[in-house]
Amino acid sequence: MIRKSGWLIFLTLLAAVLALVYLFLGTAIRLGMVYTLEKAVGAEVNISDVSVSLAPLTLNVSELQITDNAKPSHNTISFSNARAALEVWPALLGYYVINDLAVDGLAYGTERSSPGKVFRGPHADPADKVDFQQLLRLDLPDADELLARADLQTVARGEELQQLAKDQQKVLRDVQSQLPDKAKLEQIQADIKALTDSKIANPADLAAKAAELKKLQDSLRSERDKLKAVQEQLGQSRQQLQQAVTALRDASSSDWQKLQDLANISDGGLAPISQILLGDFWGERIGQLEAVYRLAGPYLPENLPGKELSDQPELTLANRILPLPSQPYPDFWIKNARVNWLIGGGEALVELQDITAQHEIINAATRFNAEVTGLPQLALLKLNGDFAVLEQMVTNVNWQLQGINVDSMDIGRGDTLLQLACATLNTTGKLNLVDNQVKQQAQLVLQQAEFKPSDNKYMQQLATLLNQQAEIPLNLNASGLISAPDVSIRSPLDKLLADAVLGEAKAKIATLQTDLRSKLDSELQQQLGGQSDWLSMLDQQDSAAESLEGNIEQMLNAKLADVKEQAADKLKDKLRDRLGGGG
Amino acid sequence: MLTLLARILKVLNSEASPWQIGWAIGLGLMAGLLPFGLLTLLILLLVCLLTVNLATFLLVWGLCSGLMFMFGDALEALTWQYAQSPALLQLLAQSETLQLFHLHHTLVLGAFVLGILLLLPVAWLSTVLVKQYRGRVMSKLQQWKIVQMLKASKLVQLYEKLN
Repeated sequence: MIRKSGWLIFLTLLAAVLALVYLFLGTAIRLGMVYTLEKAVGAEVNISDVSVSLAPLTLNVSELQITDNAKPSHNTISFSNARAALEVWPALLGYYVINDLAVDGLAYGTERSSPGKVFRGPHADPADKVDFQQLLRLDLPDADELLARADLQTVARGEELQQLAKDQQKVLRDVQSQLPDKAKLEQIQADIKALTDSKIANPADLAAKAAELKKLQDSLRSERDKLKAVQEQLGQSRQQLQQAVTALRDASSSDWQKLQDLANISDGGLAPISQILLGDFWGERIGQLEAVYRLAGPYLPENLPGKELSDQPELTLANRILPLPSQPYPDFWIKNARVNWLIGGGEALVELQDITAQHEIINAATRFNAEVTGLPQLALLKLNGDFAVLEQMVTNVNWQLQGINVDSMDIGRGDTLLQLACATLNTTGKLNLVDNQVKQQAQLVLQQAEFKPSDNKYMQQLATLLNQQAEIPLNLNASGLISAPDVSIRSPLDKLLADAVLGEAKAKIATLQTDLRSKLDSELQQQLGGQSDWLSMLDQQDSAAESLEGNIEQMLNAKLADVKEQAADKLKDKLRDRLGGGG
Repeated sequence: MLTLLARILKVLNSEASPWQIGWAIGLGLMAGLLPFGLLTLLILLLVCLLTVNLATFLLVWGLCSGLMFMFGDALEALTWQYAQSPALLQLLAQSETLQLFHLHHTLVLGAFVLGILLLLPVAWLSTVLVKQYRGRVMSKLQQWKIVQMLKASKLVQLYEKLN
């Protein structure tokens, strides 16, 4: 069962395998890197050569190119050479700890010798997506259309008021029939007068007359109660009508606000011009940072909050390291990196420390710092920041760029093309990224800008005005999801530019505003029509009822008093006669 | 392809015992499933020290390595899903020496567990099949014209000479 020459065969095989590994390890690593990177970026990746030297353990990667999946004729990133010195013991344990990493000739957006294959993502140039035709459209809706779209409350409240008035008219008619009959009241008055004026012959006569007076009095009381009910009803009607009128006036104010919003005239004009010009453009530029996020995605811890929010298919490495409770090293850790970056026709040196995705293991954040001066296209570049994956992935970047010579930049296309022929750009800003939520503030100043417009008259006006400015300051803020941030761009020049370029639009807006207000007012008048008269009629009825009530009360009190006094006088006379005449 | 077929026939018809061939297939499968590393070298040492059929082992190793290109991603995802148990993670983190085997790497762990599970059944089944082949099929197969043509082909003769 035991092979005597087993050890010899093993050693021979081992030597053969090690020789094969040594010979083909570079190729295997190259294929592995190409496969993994292509999965991550969704476009062709080329590496011309990967070699490994054993003492010290060093990996050399030559001429790496990653195709830009939005523009396959160019690379997103490329470098001429990278050299990584690995620590042996962590490598034997399966962790990639790199003491020193040097990348030379790193470049962004270089042209490829032939277009690369794209496996995922848009092919179009993001700049083409800025649609000025749409943004500068001056076809404002007319007042009638806006009134129709606005679902006005004035009309509904007006209809409610009219219905209420109709109901109240019916009530009022019923109430009028319940009011005391004038003739009947006059008859009662005459009866009382006859009763009180008549002579009382004897106690029986007094009792009979008192009974008759009481009957008349009851009749009067009943009429008074009816009158009070009518008064109460009138009061309620008046209150309801007043409330309905107030509701109608409130609805009218709220409708006016709504119409202003619909017509975008509440701030006295269109959205700021700089937002219109650069909002989407800047948003897409920030959105491109998502590509970096996706590139780093497979190396980030699985349980990172927000990682599951991405709508893209999840990318994973071919062989992941399980999250051990006490990991001796991070999965990968580059202690020091030095990147020689080809930028704007010159070179920049970027230094980074502690690059990893498991910062809690090394208890430090990844730091980066870059400073470039004296490039032909850039006077000064300062960039620094940190990055840490703890409970959340937090990135902070501060930048300062001065004297960037912008050669040519197309904004829009076709009729609405605005070409920035040349300018000098200065910018400072900071960016904070927590998971995939970005918050960014930047100040940007374009100096000596020269714009060339297309045939579009608005573009020509805009270009003329912009060319007259010594500098064009812009404040750019962005927040929200990194792939689709909300961008706010403001400039002190906004009002000036909007007044000049969008003068025609503003005139249209002013006309629309007047037209809308008058139509809404007429709507209000129409709905209120007649209701004021109704209110005054109610008031009139109310005062008439009050005066009638006064009469009844007067009749009740005065006549009763007279009868009592007369009866008392007669009683006194009779007593005097019986007691022996005179006093 | 012809060389491969001739090689298989040669092993099957050789003096090697069915158990030697069966274990060679089982161990070759395990070595093929595993990414190359210390565990592969240990399997290789075992194969060299025991009188396992080397040719069969190398052949199956190569074939199974190829299979892993197709099924590696699925095995990796499956392992990631089922290997999150705290007890297992604690065990794997116990010593750095254990980590030399890279069992904390998903693909290595998945392949190792699958290899261990398949080792005995595959070795036993292979042994039974070799026995069945030798007892029932071999003599009939030798008489087939295609096999005789194959054995007479220059390429196979050259291979046997070199072997």
